[in-house]
Amino acid sequence: MSYDSNLIDALEPSQLTAATEIPLPRRRLSRATTILLIALRVYIFIAVPIVGYAFVHALMAPQ
Amino acid sequence: MSQSASSFAPLPPASLPRAEGRLSHEDILRAEDRRKVLKERTARHWFRLLWLLTGPGVLVMLGENDGPSMVSYATTGATYGVGFFVPFILLTFLMAFAVQEMTVRLGAATHRGHAELIFERFGPFWGYFAMGDLVFGNVLTLVTEFIAIQAGGLYFGVPAVVSVAIGVALVVASLAFRRYATWERTVMALAVFNLLFIPAALFAHPDGAALVHAIGTWSPLKGGVTAAFVTLILANIGATVTPWMIFFQQSAVVDKGLTTADLGEGRLDTAIGAVLAAIAAIATLVAAAPLFENNVDVSKFASGADFATALQPYLGSVGATLFALGMIEAGVVAAMTISASSAYAMGETARKRHSLNLDFSQGWLFYGAAIASTVVAAAIVLIPGAPLLAMTLTVNVIATLLMAPALLLLLLLVNDREIMGAHANTWRANIVGGAIIVALVLVGAAYGVITVFPGILGQ
Repeated sequence: MSYDSNLIDALEPSQLTAATEIPLPRRRLSRATTILLIALRVYIFIAVPIVGYAFVHALMAPQ
Repeated sequence: MSQSASSFAPLPPASLPRAEGRLSHEDILRAEDRRKVLKERTARHWFRLLWLLTGPGVLVMLGENDGPSMVSYATTGATYGVGFFVPFILLTFLMAFAVQEMTVRLGAATHRGHAELIFERFGPFWGYFAMGDLVFGNVLTLVTEFIAIQAGGLYFGVPAVVSVAIGVALVVASLAFRRYATWERTVMALAVFNLLFIPAALFAHPDGAALVHAIGTWSPLKGGVTAAFVTLILANIGATVTPWMIFFQQSAVVDKGLTTADLGEGRLDTAIGAVLAAIAAIATLVAAAPLFENNVDVSKFASGADFATALQPYLGSVGATLFALGMIEAGVVAAMTISASSAYAMGETARKRHSLNLDFSQGWLFYGAAIASTVVAAAIVLIPGAPLLAMTLTVNVIATLLMAPALLLLLLLVNDREIMGAHANTWRANIVGGAIIVALVLVGAAYGVITVFPGILGQ
């Protein structure tokens, strides 16, 4: 593809695809954050089946 | 013409590729878009600048006014009329703005998608959980978009298989542009039809004083707090804040090429989207309110088409037609944005190229994910006897539940000063974000308790 050589200056260096392909370093999560993330995961594992139960229960209810 | 020197660049990359050989086709297309933006900014043409930078915010907000959302608003209007839920919907859109504004900052400061950031900063364990939530929610929601398309089609006598096939064809055709800017403007043009619910509401001859009274007093609320009330609270929250919105807007901001210099316009774009979507949402509630006033039982409705049919005596054929057309639009636009959100997240997770600027050969996984998710969802809708209205409301409830962990990950990222620099959250934004998480968990817990112990409210 042909293009004006100055065109690419319109992008910030960190916007280039080659730059975004370089992974960012891993961040260390604090214990409190990890506990919070696990707690919300447990919440999801409990809450979603309840919604499923309510859905099935509503379908099975006599009309 | 180079970017402002004050623009914030996130962690590393230490050596940046400027050599022509390492530039991609995607870079060049994005640079063309950016050159127009920089030209208008330099010339101080603010309206043209806003027009160029508008898109992700309007699309995410009007996209979330999707099939299940409009059915939730209609069910709310038919069950409770004009009252408590009018200001409640406004509040949910304020919540949506607060959440989505963070994604604009994240995308503009890091130039990376949401899935990408979760995997890179928190590792694959939390990354796969976040992706699992997204894929689960997106597949369910996409199914309900095709329910809306099918329902709207049925109102006009179009067989389900034909309207669903047309919906799939439109989603696939929108991807054929292989240009983000064209895709965005096309979907925005379609999204304008979300406002069809406004004239539909006018046919219901709404009482302006009652609307103002409802907003000012959060009343009336006939029937009090019941299981149905809590379900509709969750469904209305799920109609405005969902995980796909976070992933979509951040990826769209990156694909569009927004930088930290564009944050003001990015916020305005999101605010405009929120205002338009809130008006359309309240209009839907108002349009369905005659069903409440005339004691029509909507609990046996099979789909959104039943709303349009039931509203015909009150809105007239034109009003009911507008309502049905609005349902079709809601489904089509959301199918386009949600499939794009799945495609972005899939590309980011697999570390493959992910952009609407890609050719098919470069972006086979990206386009493949969007098309595959669309086709699967469309096929599910055509299963005979599927309980479509019940599915529609349930999807919004699930979206609300999945939002709490998604929002926590968003808050962690947007507070990460190593990647956000000066654009990290303020303490005020953290209080708002934290309050939303707590509210979502509490409402979800209330729903769980009422479901498991139905007698707790004395019914």
